[in-house]
Amino acid sequence: MNKELLTEILATFKKTQGYIEKDNRLFIETKKEIVPALLKYFKDKSFDRLAMVSCVDRINENKLEIIYILTSFCLDNPLNIILKIKISRNEPELDTVIPIFENAEPYEREIHELFGVDFIGHPRLTPLFLEREYEIPPFRKDFDMRKYSEELFDSVPFVGDEK
Amino acid sequence: MRELELYFGPQHLGMVGNFSITLSVEGDKIVNAASNPGYLHRGFEKLMEYRTWSQNFPLVCRINVIEPDSMEMVYAMAVEKLANIEVPERAEFIRSIYLELARIGSHLFGLWAYANMLGFDTVAQWAMYHRDIILDLFEELTGARVYHIYINPGGVRRDFPKGFKEKIVKTLHSIGGCVPDYNNTFFENRLFYERAHRIGAISQEEAIKYGAVGQPLRATGIAHDIRKVEPYAVYDKVEFDVPIRENGDAHSRILIVRDEMIESVHMIFKLLDMMPEGEVWNRTPNPFKWNIPEGECYVRVESSRGELGLYLVSDGGDKPYRAHFRTPSYTHGLVILEKVLRGANISDVGNIMISLYVIAPEIDR
Repeated sequence: MNKELLTEILATFKKTQGYIEKDNRLFIETKKEIVPALLKYFKDKSFDRLAMVSCVDRINENKLEIIYILTSFCLDNPLNIILKIKISRNEPELDTVIPIFENAEPYEREIHELFGVDFIGHPRLTPLFLEREYEIPPFRKDFDMRKYSEELFDSVPFVGDEK
Repeated sequence: MRELELYFGPQHLGMVGNFSITLSVEGDKIVNAASNPGYLHRGFEKLMEYRTWSQNFPLVCRINVIEPDSMEMVYAMAVEKLANIEVPERAEFIRSIYLELARIGSHLFGLWAYANMLGFDTVAQWAMYHRDIILDLFEELTGARVYHIYINPGGVRRDFPKGFKEKIVKTLHSIGGCVPDYNNTFFENRLFYERAHRIGAISQEEAIKYGAVGQPLRATGIAHDIRKVEPYAVYDKVEFDVPIRENGDAHSRILIVRDEMIESVHMIFKLLDMMPEGEVWNRTPNPFKWNIPEGECYVRVESSRGELGLYLVSDGGDKPYRAHFRTPSYTHGLVILEKVLRGANISDVGNIMISLYVIAPEIDR
């Protein structure tokens, strides 16, 4: 059943690759323009639950990877769909998916705050967790946590090294 | 009537945990609500990128204060999947028993918070006492009461000590013997019914639309449980029911908490009888020289509050490249709570929030 689903997706949507892992994980890589259409397609196929939206900083390729994970409420299909897209790291912009899945709202807010991705059409991209602004969004790989904490809190000398 | 802004939490008597809600109220009625997390944001997911695979265990369990064990489990499962490690059968049984004990402990803590908020102080103290004797079991098994760091990739840290099986049975019997008392004073009490019935109700369509998991979803009549949908550990070898209710309100959610505890106790008895002998840990490489092949995975377990997922990425090094936890309270606290509070009464805010089982450290991470 899942193999047929994959063949149908690859036939319907252009610029899309995918494969199924043995333990019910369907990985799909696509382009960012196709995401809303693809999410709507899955929603109609009863994969109507957005488990999470995540982001990975691929600094070597100079891209940000956005990941949507979809599952189903039906009990007899444990398939997890992992949908991946890559967007530019310098000008990260993406359409919001709130019209399709309402619970994407805090996830997109979090990714905006921690990775600096702008979601076009999001109703409130206000800070969620952090209290101050950072030059580099803190969850990106070029934000050095240790250097930041040394600058902010000063380094504490080891016992005996005070002189 | 004039609209006022009211800050509910983090220093508020009705608030459990480091969380706050900004309410717009007209008289007693809530017009708008905005969840305001971040009081406990420690950036664990970033910190994990600086520590080796084994060093991360003390971090992941601190993400959730009241039930750290499912966090350990989901992280261990992800590492095992990426590194292709097998787990001995006895270790899988021990893990399941350990997770079910943790579920009872967590539910008793939740019951303490809920009963305390409603003013049933006696029931709250009973629940706290019973959680404490479960923590005694954990102390004997792992050496720690709250953060156990017991599950390791490839199994568990140590086998059951001598006579531990009998101790579990004895403890669970003494808790189970008090179920009639709990029922008489709390669950079948008219006061609880009047106070919780039709409070914070969500329909089945809304639960699906907002992506609810755990008790809020099962209270609307959908028997969705990861232990059944995608069994891990030994949940496919043992029989158990998934309790559901139809009303979707606070009353149904709390009754499901009780039913799940009873179901867990029965499950532990069955698992103890079926437990095989054998090894409990498959050796893993030296933790300081342990590189895990490149890849990514999404694993999920059923924690006491619903689906808990972890998206873990490895770049072939000795540290995770990225970890992202999908915690059940995240959607409950930031999406459903805001929707349900609209139109509710100020006196029901704590009631709704605790019955949705919102745990603040899990949201902030």
